[in-house]
Amino acid sequence: MSNRKLWTSALCILHRRLYSSPRFSAGFHLNLESTSVFSCSPYHAGKSIVSGSCKGGFMANFKFSVRGFCSEPVVGSVDKCWNCGTLAMSKPFLACESCKSVQPVDPSIDYFQIFGLEKEYDVKVDNLESKYKDWQKKLHPDLVHSKSEKEREYAAEQSARVIDAYYTLSKPLSRATYMLKLEGVHVDEEKTISEPDFLAEIMEVREAVEEAEDSQALNQIQHQMQGKLESWFKSFANAFKNQEYEAAVTSIQRMTYYERVKEEILKKM
Amino acid sequence: MLRAGCKRFAGLANFKNQTQTLSLLRFYHERVVDHYNNPRNVGSFDKNDPTVGTGLVGAPACGDVMKLQIKVDEETGKIVDACFKTFGCGSAIASSSVATEWVKGKQMEEVLSIKNTEIAKHLSLPPVKLHCSMLAEDAIKAAVKDYEAKRAKLGENGDEAAPVDKAADA
Repeated sequence: MSNRKLWTSALCILHRRLYSSPRFSAGFHLNLESTSVFSCSPYHAGKSIVSGSCKGGFMANFKFSVRGFCSEPVVGSVDKCWNCGTLAMSKPFLACESCKSVQPVDPSIDYFQIFGLEKEYDVKVDNLESKYKDWQKKLHPDLVHSKSEKEREYAAEQSARVIDAYYTLSKPLSRATYMLKLEGVHVDEEKTISEPDFLAEIMEVREAVEEAEDSQALNQIQHQMQGKLESWFKSFANAFKNQEYEAAVTSIQRMTYYERVKEEILKKM
Repeated sequence: MLRAGCKRFAGLANFKNQTQTLSLLRFYHERVVDHYNNPRNVGSFDKNDPTVGTGLVGAPACGDVMKLQIKVDEETGKIVDACFKTFGCGSAIASSSVATEWVKGKQMEEVLSIKNTEIAKHLSLPPVKLHCSMLAEDAIKAAVKDYEAKRAKLGENGDEAAPVDKAADA
């Protein structure tokens, strides 16, 4: 075991040294994975192959991630650009500040981190749109159409993720569902519910919407729905803070119904 | 490993896009359209009528709410009439409409065996709409349950034969 540790740390040092050398730039970062940790031969072989000829065959042999073997993870706490090797200067690391290359998606960065927000329900979403646009100025696929296929892929995935993050966080209901998902709680939407009092109330409201004659009546109902929603938002925020996940799920279910009524009202208007 | 991961991710994304397009191409089966355009048995019975059972169910996913009511002949236990009111998608409306058609003229115990899969098959519901038929099945069960609960309650209160005995027993 100690032997292995010796090899892994040696490999790490070698990896870093090799990596920083300009000969080993594009395409090699992170794919330098070794099946046999105990021999240096992959590295020597790598040296001669780096000119680009047998890159395909070389990759095919590799199974394990360097991350798994190195005592210090190469990616993770110390992010590096795959293109120019510059260390990440800020979080989240979605695009390199130095060479502007779009980075591959790191799923461990959650949506709140993308927008630099605390993982709380009552986050300020006022300047979400401007942050979102700032990100797209760096990540949008249109900006990389002349770059490598790899970078175009990264840009497509990264910008799609930022779009998803933006829409998820900007709406209260989806934000709530997402927060529960981060805690591993899945809101089972397929299960039928039979809360007679609540459903009777919803039924009444939906009938009122159908029968409403003018926009004034509709606005009134809309106002009522918004009021109900806000009280359930508070409910959710409290339940979540206290880790009462069942109550949180109930809040989300209620919110879904009120949001639906709002949608129907908008359709009618 | 990252490259393989990215490729897999892109592959998944493609697959998702494909299924999305396919579902856009799917259209409602003509039976669903028929039930939507000519719904049978839309309406309401008096909730407080002792011969009426009301089932009120909801599907949190889409915010749908379905009310199904049955009118039962007290002596034979046969469902003589049914009506529904559903706020939801075409599949949900059609499912409840079919449910009201199927329960009419049947015994209460019989309708409890109506399965959502039968409704779904009748309407050729796509997988994404299966929960609508489940909602209809649950609505039928809830209506029967409500009627029986009412009967039990009435049985307690309206028992004129031996109120004195009851008080003595209690």
